[in-house]
Amino acid sequence: MSMDVEILEDPKHHRYVLNMGPQHPSTHGVLRVLLELEGEYAMELLPVLGYGHRCHEKIAEHKPVKSFMPNTARMDYLGALIYNHGYAQLLERAAGIEVPERVEYIRVITSELNRIQSHLLWYGAYLLDLGAFTPIMYSFDDREHILDILEDVTGSRLTYCYFRVGGVSKDIDDKFVTSTRAFVKRLRSRFPMYEDLVNGNIILQKRLIDVGELTPHTCARYGITGPLLRGTGVAYDMRRAEPYSIYSKFDFEIPTGTKGDCMASFMVRFHELEQSLRIIEQALDGLPEGPIMAAKVPKKLKIPAGDYNSSVEAPRGELSYYLVSDGSDVPYRLKVRTPSYSNLSVVPEMCQGMLLSDVVSAMGALDLVIPEIDR
Amino acid sequence: MDINKVKKQWQELSTSIEDIDYAVSGHDYNVCLESDRVRDFAASMLEEGFYLVDLMAVHVTPAIEVVYQFAHVETRCRVLARAFVDGNGEISTISDIYQGANWHERETRDFHGVVFVDHPYLEPLILPEEDVDLKPLLKAEANLKDVATVRRQPPEPAPEPKAKPEPKPKPEAKPEAVKSQEQS
Repeated sequence: MSMDVEILEDPKHHRYVLNMGPQHPSTHGVLRVLLELEGEYAMELLPVLGYGHRCHEKIAEHKPVKSFMPNTARMDYLGALIYNHGYAQLLERAAGIEVPERVEYIRVITSELNRIQSHLLWYGAYLLDLGAFTPIMYSFDDREHILDILEDVTGSRLTYCYFRVGGVSKDIDDKFVTSTRAFVKRLRSRFPMYEDLVNGNIILQKRLIDVGELTPHTCARYGITGPLLRGTGVAYDMRRAEPYSIYSKFDFEIPTGTKGDCMASFMVRFHELEQSLRIIEQALDGLPEGPIMAAKVPKKLKIPAGDYNSSVEAPRGELSYYLVSDGSDVPYRLKVRTPSYSNLSVVPEMCQGMLLSDVVSAMGALDLVIPEIDR
Repeated sequence: MDINKVKKQWQELSTSIEDIDYAVSGHDYNVCLESDRVRDFAASMLEEGFYLVDLMAVHVTPAIEVVYQFAHVETRCRVLARAFVDGNGEISTISDIYQGANWHERETRDFHGVVFVDHPYLEPLILPEEDVDLKPLLKAEANLKDVATVRRQPPEPAPEPKAKPEPKPKPEAKPEAVKSQEQS
């Protein structure tokens, strides 16, 4: 007997079941949540996943390691370059490939642009969920600049496949540097406007403060990472905790909150925009000349037997690739640990007893990308 | 977190502990467990403040291996814990200790058919309900490898930090694997 029938046959018949999704706009993708409501309060929640399952892990076991790169971008379409980064780093670590310094700089700059792009989309869409229509127009205006910059260098606007094992596919040029600098200046000049327009808004504060509170212990039990964890006051960021690439060279802060509610993670993400801009500026200043591809990357990349892990900070939290190799050029097993998967799993506990409108607030604060959950 | 104290606890619970070079593999420790000790291990990890990164299965002979990955928010300590399922393809759930394991275990049940004993709701999560017996990530007989062939071979005292594969488990892989290291 399936869970939905079980709920319907419940003798507590003053409760009723509301099906939210898979096409509900505030679930941002094909997520379905079964809500058992009492009046306007959600008493039980059951997320139903799998509508967007594309067997990425099965596909990975059937082709050479290098050709899985485009698939990584299809998992989290908002953090595609960061997913590229994690996978490239996994194979470089496993095969012992040294990456040229210029490549690392290019990777950091484009990854951070990608992170800003993801946060800006979340910013607009989240406020849209809460009933504020205007901000998405502003944030999409800013985001459009990043898409143009990245389109010039990667060739696509969303599902980038730009990184290669040992390098990147195309070098950046002066135009990229100039337009990125112009964008940094522009976005920074827009922050006061966002603060005035949105962050201090009394309706926003009433909708977010004290809603969906998390504690560090809850985060550990569920494996929650990213801005949600930092909102509880734990300054845990893969870029600092396990510095990969060249992040240890840059001076940036890890914004944290205190209460762990929706407002805390909202402000953490907002402040991360500025920190990403700082990293981009420093990386542009220090950008060295050099090759964009490591020498001697074998065409058929055989991975020595054993298991390998690579973790990076995706816009939504910790992304880990775990590769088990039998010594051939095809993975024996590839597991992708996506941040939204663990972040969403807290919903039944976090949202229990909440007003339905607060459920929308709380789920929006998770910044869900469903295709990375379903994979 | 005091790593020596934690390691002492692991020694009581595990059959072997291996320090791994993070630069090579991305982990710090590799802990092998008996399948009946995973709950004790998970409880001790939660007490020390570790969070559950991931839970997955790898299909090898002699039995499916369930792999738990933990990390710590204060210091870098990335731990892999592994346990083979018992003869009936079962292993205890840790979803009452780490609630985040609930979905990971349901997914592992979908993909590998591992039964997590005492799981509160072991229903299909990613796959549709009619595919409950599909188990898509189980290997075909021809592709199934022994656990020794997917393990990192012990490093030899060589100048480069990378592990060199021994010729014994998979002789045909050796020349290529060594070649790729030299190129790096």
